[in-house]
Amino acid sequence: MIDRSPRPPEALMRAIAQDLKPVTPSPRPLQLALRMIPVALLVSSLILLAIGLRPDSVILGPVLTWGASAAQFLLAIGLVWIAAHESTPAGRLPRQMVYAAAAAAALLVVFITLLTFSTSAANEPVLRVPPRVGEMLRDSPWIMGFGCGIGSTFAGGILVLFFSWVFRNSLATRPTVAGALYGAGAGVAINAGWRIACPISTPWHALGAHGAAIIATVILGALIGHFLGNRRLHIE
Amino acid sequence: MSEGDQELRALMIRYQGGSFDAFQEIYARLAPGVRRYLLHLAGAHSAGGSGIADDLLQETFLQVHRSRAGYNPAYAVRPWMFGLARNVFLMNRRAARRLAKVYESREDLPDFPVLPEADRLGSQEEIRRGMAHLHPDQAEALLLHHEWGFSFEEIAGMLGISAAAARARASRGMADLRMALNSLQRARA
Repeated sequence: MIDRSPRPPEALMRAIAQDLKPVTPSPRPLQLALRMIPVALLVSSLILLAIGLRPDSVILGPVLTWGASAAQFLLAIGLVWIAAHESTPAGRLPRQMVYAAAAAAALLVVFITLLTFSTSAANEPVLRVPPRVGEMLRDSPWIMGFGCGIGSTFAGGILVLFFSWVFRNSLATRPTVAGALYGAGAGVAINAGWRIACPISTPWHALGAHGAAIIATVILGALIGHFLGNRRLHIE
Repeated sequence: MSEGDQELRALMIRYQGGSFDAFQEIYARLAPGVRRYLLHLAGAHSAGGSGIADDLLQETFLQVHRSRAGYNPAYAVRPWMFGLARNVFLMNRRAARRLAKVYESREDLPDFPVLPEADRLGSQEEIRRGMAHLHPDQAEALLLHHEWGFSFEEIAGMLGISAAAARARASRGMADLRMALNSLQRARA
């Protein structure tokens, strides 16, 4: 077989010679995921700073309050780590591992929701709000669900945008999958903070409103990943 | 890590620092292998197919340049570069379905890589025909390991599979190639 050594095309060489500013190498996937922790922690804690700890945290105990959220948060960072691997041409993880991690994240959220509900079936929207607003929330629980859904989607969206910026130079073969993974990471991280602030633990609220927010961040991440991937490797 | 890999890594670091000479050296060392890999992926079988591989090669090195910050010196350069070339091919294939058609009809490939290890199994022409009978995943793993010398761990990182799966694909590919060559030789006899 002839091993033809192609001459570098002039146009390619010109393009490269015109832009040779030094660049800083990207961190390794684990370093990148660890660097995301402060921002993810800050954004996921905002709700806690705003409305405080859920009133039944004493009933739930520290393990089911802080421990469960810490587990969710770690899993969220794990998803970002997998997304970083997915974005590295020579560093991809086996597909089964990627899908197993995504399934584990979904199962963990459902498991923690059901465990929380079985320990404390809180259904009262106890919030530091004017009495009339509190009454309205009690009469129309869907308003609380809507508020939690929109609020955590908004917070998750901020985190997804931040992750998208970090992953803007991603070299993923499947950019939609990489985007969905960091979107899931953002959603689960936000849920880790939101669940210890939200006073309602019924599954329809926790899975319907908070779960929908996680799905929304997954979709948002996938769309941004798809867009960035197409833009990076756009072929005329 | 081999001496060649160390040198490539040092070149890549110099290139990230803004050295044009380092880029030219990287191109000279890696472009022929990357081009043949792209030719294999595209399954090119004509002068036009060779042109596609050249276009993809140019696109790959443009991507390397745009994404040079994305390389971390902890990784070996060759798997990173081949993995990037694979990304370029796949994204192109998605963008232009015409490549998919070429990819599916892999018969008679004049510039197609032939495994050095398979030389004793038959003539180059027979091996080319035998390779065309393999499942694309098996052929890719087989070539990456035997033709370009990547370890199964490196192949796993490039393809998003486990090292055991990479080994199994290459092994099944070699077994199927032997069977295909036997059939071809029996038919000829």
